[in-house]
Amino acid sequence: MLMLPELIIVATGFILLVLDLFLTEKQRDLLVPLALAGIAAALGALWLTPDHGVLLGGRFAMDPLAWWFKLTFLIAAFVTVMLTSGLLESAAPEPRKLHSPGEFLTILLFNLTGMLLLASTRDLITLYVALELATIPLFLLAAWRRDALGGEAGLKYMVIGALASALMLYGFGVLYGVTGTMRLDAMPALLHADRTTLYAAALIVAGVGFKLTLVPFHMWAPEVYQGAPPPVTAWLSVASKAAGLSVLMLVLFRVFRPFLHDVSFAIAVLATVTMTIGNLVAIVQRNILRFMAFSAISQAGYLLLGFLAGGSVGAAAMVFYLLVYAVTNLSVFAVIILHNQQTGSTELTDYRGLSQLNPLLALALMFGLFGLGGIPPLAGFVGKFLLFSVAAQAGYHWLVGVAAVNSTVSLYYYLRLVRQMYIEAPAEGAVPLKPGWMLSAGLAVTTAASMLLGVVPTVYESVRASAAAWLQSLGQ
Amino acid sequence: MADFLTAHAPTLTHWLVLTSALFAIGLYGMLTRRNAVGVLMSLELCLNAAAVNFVLFNRYLAPTAQGGAERLDGAVMTIFVIAVAAAEVVVGMAIFVAMYAERRTVDVTRLDALKD
Repeated sequence: MLMLPELIIVATGFILLVLDLFLTEKQRDLLVPLALAGIAAALGALWLTPDHGVLLGGRFAMDPLAWWFKLTFLIAAFVTVMLTSGLLESAAPEPRKLHSPGEFLTILLFNLTGMLLLASTRDLITLYVALELATIPLFLLAAWRRDALGGEAGLKYMVIGALASALMLYGFGVLYGVTGTMRLDAMPALLHADRTTLYAAALIVAGVGFKLTLVPFHMWAPEVYQGAPPPVTAWLSVASKAAGLSVLMLVLFRVFRPFLHDVSFAIAVLATVTMTIGNLVAIVQRNILRFMAFSAISQAGYLLLGFLAGGSVGAAAMVFYLLVYAVTNLSVFAVIILHNQQTGSTELTDYRGLSQLNPLLALALMFGLFGLGGIPPLAGFVGKFLLFSVAAQAGYHWLVGVAAVNSTVSLYYYLRLVRQMYIEAPAEGAVPLKPGWMLSAGLAVTTAASMLLGVVPTVYESVRASAAAWLQSLGQ
Repeated sequence: MADFLTAHAPTLTHWLVLTSALFAIGLYGMLTRRNAVGVLMSLELCLNAAAVNFVLFNRYLAPTAQGGAERLDGAVMTIFVIAVAAAEVVVGMAIFVAMYAERRTVDVTRLDALKD
């Protein structure tokens, strides 16, 4: 019962894979609704899953925060499949069409399984295997289009990702050597504040930093975001980042918790560098996917602020911001995917005049960008406010200043895109985009969520309560 | 000869120097190799260095840490590492083959199509 969402997703993946063999090209259009049904069933199962419990001798455990992570992964997958539907159908425009929809969806679902398992792992073996399952399929998805750009993106992602996982694995080895146990919960009592612990922590953080695009480890992000098909980029920027955060929380809060306070300055520096570089480099980008890559890097910097406070406040702020970031980023990507699908362009300047051609799409994109920038009534503001207040409570007032300046800088480049849409005139002979109903539904839902999450206090209250319960389950 | 070997049996430190060296060589190879397949081979060295670490720690540390009970966690981890490394290489080679068909090269220094 505890593992039901994962099992449903695996089963759906296999059904799609086998069914794909017997369908004609036209009938394969059925695979997208089938995948959506599977993910919806998993969401239902997650709703019924208790948020406490242990399976497989303690190697798989549910806790209240893991529940929220799984919710984020499932929602992100559901919306991503909705946004991809236009590119997977048999009638999709040829050069940008994603071939073999059955295999694409299967790999996406297996990737999702890895992420779902990741949130529940409690020992090094399951953590490593789940993490690789949450990473390796992404290499394939990034290289899905067999063109020069896709291959290059896939190769770069694969090599750097494998190096990151080797570093992390070496860190796990050191951790195992120091403690003599594989169980994450038993580790804090066996660790001492010495160089070996720091060495293991540094290797592991370097490995996770790759997934979370923290700054010295972010070099792959702009290249892969640009070369991968836009729906995969959307999935990468949301789900892969959420997976990275769930590992980092597992490692920092569960294993290195006694030392978290000692390294908070290092975390503050990492956050500063990540958000500053992300925001400054985003200003000069002309390609919208690279632009979104640097935006995503800076968002990872904000997320890190939650680690400055060891208590449940930091965890709650991070999980809430992750949820908000996921829906907001997906709403932005919905328009980017549609624009790329119908014009084939990824240039920022090709969005000029969108407000005259497609007023509703332009409005939705503007709300999404404002949410990412953190403009008040939108959820992005509330999420950032909570994160900044965690940093302030931990005594890092200078960091709050840096983060606030960074938010302002980020507004500058988000507004560059808004300016293209609202002030510039449309190009000669530009035609309005025609969104499919599934993409429109995905866009409507995520845009609505990115507004309501900030206004309706229930969601944050539940996250907060879950974080408090989770802290108690840590037993400290 | 046998006496000499028993008297100079390698300790954990020696083995750790070996795995560190192996990892460093792999890292060096990943950074300097121009052929993508060479990069992949260097990556294998890194992963294997980490895998050997687990066997070592299992052999030298885990039995005492667990009150003398025989534990095989580290050895089991190594098997998983080998399996995952194989999956990683398969995916990597698939991508390289697809890229070779498109560009007729897997020279990593010539991958510069992605830029702003």
